[in-house]
This record gives sequence, C-alpha cells and structure tokens, in this order.
Amino acid sequence: MRQMMVGVVALSALMAFPAMAAEGKRVSVKGELIDTWCYFSGVMGRPDAVVGSAHHTCAMWCAAGGIPIGLLGEDGEVYMVLKLPGDDASNGGETFLTMTNDTVEAEGMVYERDGLTYLVVSEVTSNDGIPNRTHEDFGVVPGNVIPDAVVDKVLEEG
Amino acid sequence: MRRLVTLLACAATPVVAQAPLPFDIGGSFSLVDQRGDTRTEDSFGGPSLLFFGYAQCQSICTVALPRMAEAVDLLAERGVEVQPVLVTVDPVRDTPASLRDHAPDIHPRLVALTGSEDALAGARKAFRVESEVIGEDIEGPLYAHGSFVYLLDAEGEVLTLLPPVLGADRMAEIAMGYLEAKP
Repeated sequence: MRQMMVGVVALSALMAFPAMAAEGKRVSVKGELIDTWCYFSGVMGRPDAVVGSAHHTCAMWCAAGGIPIGLLGEDGEVYMVLKLPGDDASNGGETFLTMTNDTVEAEGMVYERDGLTYLVVSEVTSNDGIPNRTHEDFGVVPGNVIPDAVVDKVLEEG
Repeated sequence: MRRLVTLLACAATPVVAQAPLPFDIGGSFSLVDQRGDTRTEDSFGGPSLLFFGYAQCQSICTVALPRMAEAVDLLAERGVEVQPVLVTVDPVRDTPASLRDHAPDIHPRLVALTGSEDALAGARKAFRVESEVIGEDIEGPLYAHGSFVYLLDAEGEVLTLLPPVLGADRMAEIAMGYLEAKP
C-alpha cells in the first residue's frame, strides 16, 4: 500500500465537512511544556498542582513513558505538541524529556484537528527554565514520586 | 480550573475542523500476528485502531490500550466494527506465542503484531514513532515509545491520530466522524 500523506487523507475528511475546514497557521506561543496525562486526567490533583516545579519529576517520568507533552499557553490554551526541533518522531523523544515544565516561547504551526489544537514547533526562541515554582504551594506532586531517601538527602544538603 | 473546564468543553465538541499535518504518517508493513499469520496494514477487513506498545509495559500502555479497547467496544455498540491492533516495540519478549497469551487480556479481538527488528523499525518509521530502551527492571527492558493511537481505514491509510489522553468515548466519537464520512 502506498504511503499516504495525512494531509491528503485530511482532504477527504475536509471534503466531508466543507464548511468546517481549517488550515494550519503560523503562531508564536509562550507557555509551559506540561505533562498532558496528569493535567487532563486529574489523577494527580488539580490542574495548578500538576504544572511547574511541583510536578517536574512525575512529568519527566510521563514524558519518558511516552505521554505527549502540551504547551500550556499564557492564554490558557493547551497545544498538543506533535514535534519539537531535534526530534524526528511525531511525539516523544529526548527533547521532550529535557524540556518538560520549562516555560518557553515557541514559533511553529498550529493545526486544528478533531477539536484539538496541535503544535509543530519550528523554533524555541526562548527558554526560561522552570520559573513556575509550584512546589512552594504544593510540595512534590505526587508525594511519592521521589524516594524519601532522596528527599531527605536533598534537605540535609540544604 | 477554568482552563481545564474550557479545554474539556472544547474537547467535547463534535468533530469540526480538520487541518492537514505537515508530515507523512502511515505506510506499509508486513508483520506476524499472535497466530503466526502474516498481516499487513490493509489485511484487517475494515478500519482499525493501531497502537505501538508492548505487553509487559507498565506505563502508557496500561492507559492507552484499555482506552483503545473500550473505544472499539463503543464503536461496535454503534454498529461500526473496528479492529484493535497492537504493534510491539519489544519483539524479544513479544513473540507470537507470548502475545497469544497476553492479547485477550487487552481485548478479545486484539490483533497483536510482532516481527523482525527491521520490520518493526520500518513500521515505526512509517508512523514516526520513536522507541528506545530507557532502563531495565527484573522482568526486562523498559521502553519509552510514542503513544498516539492511529485510526486507519480498510486500506490501511491513516485517517487521524488520537492522543492517549482522550477518553474512550471521545476516541470513539472522533473515529465515528471519520468512518461515517467514508463512502
């Protein structure tokens, strides 16, 4: 079977919804790269507890396990990140892991599909690291994601 | 909380806008199912929901596979038969014999595919799925791997991709939109 461009396939769907078509558009978005599973599922707590420093360790585990990351824009929109510069895969990859919970400004293309907003990042123009210090309010979320011995050691070392 | 409510409300809206993606997804593969039969992307006798993972996975597969299986059941209740398919990223442990034991635990109609390293790498490349060993536990390697669910038509062409964070009902709703639109 021949390889098929999603764009071509989408054209068929687009023809089925002629009044609802949408093309990709270039955007610049600033926001935090979040763990979409914990953010949407609520299994680890309220949305503001599963972003930032409080949730960083869990988010790295989730990213390592293949959970797609999202860019939580300053406008409150969650962009499902399909691709970051440096990764060939359509989701996942080391770049996702190393940038989890970073607040970045990204340029790329946004695509509306199936009621979701996807972002293909062409360039990360700034990276502020993790300024969202949610651990000051929530501690580590979830509390058992870091072994007690590690927490004790860090606290001992100040 | 307002953000979440807004987003969930958005996610609950019907299938509306379809924008093309800027890269190819999907392609041909030839793999072996749990019965030892050769299967290709167009040999499921109808549309399929396809996921890359492995039977021993204790991470994203434990979320995505049950959701995909439930979506298949929801679609069946609406009269649409969709074949659930797992493509392993762990061919060493996921042999046909091993998959024969594990597949019914995921879904009674699951087709679980394995194959040579090269054949599986080719399938992953076609679907732009990354997979790598990130550690070991007492049962063997732990894999990180892409976690989207892919909706394919009967000819094996990708209609869309579904993030595993979607609930089964939403997956089924999106799939229904595409499959009803097919002639």
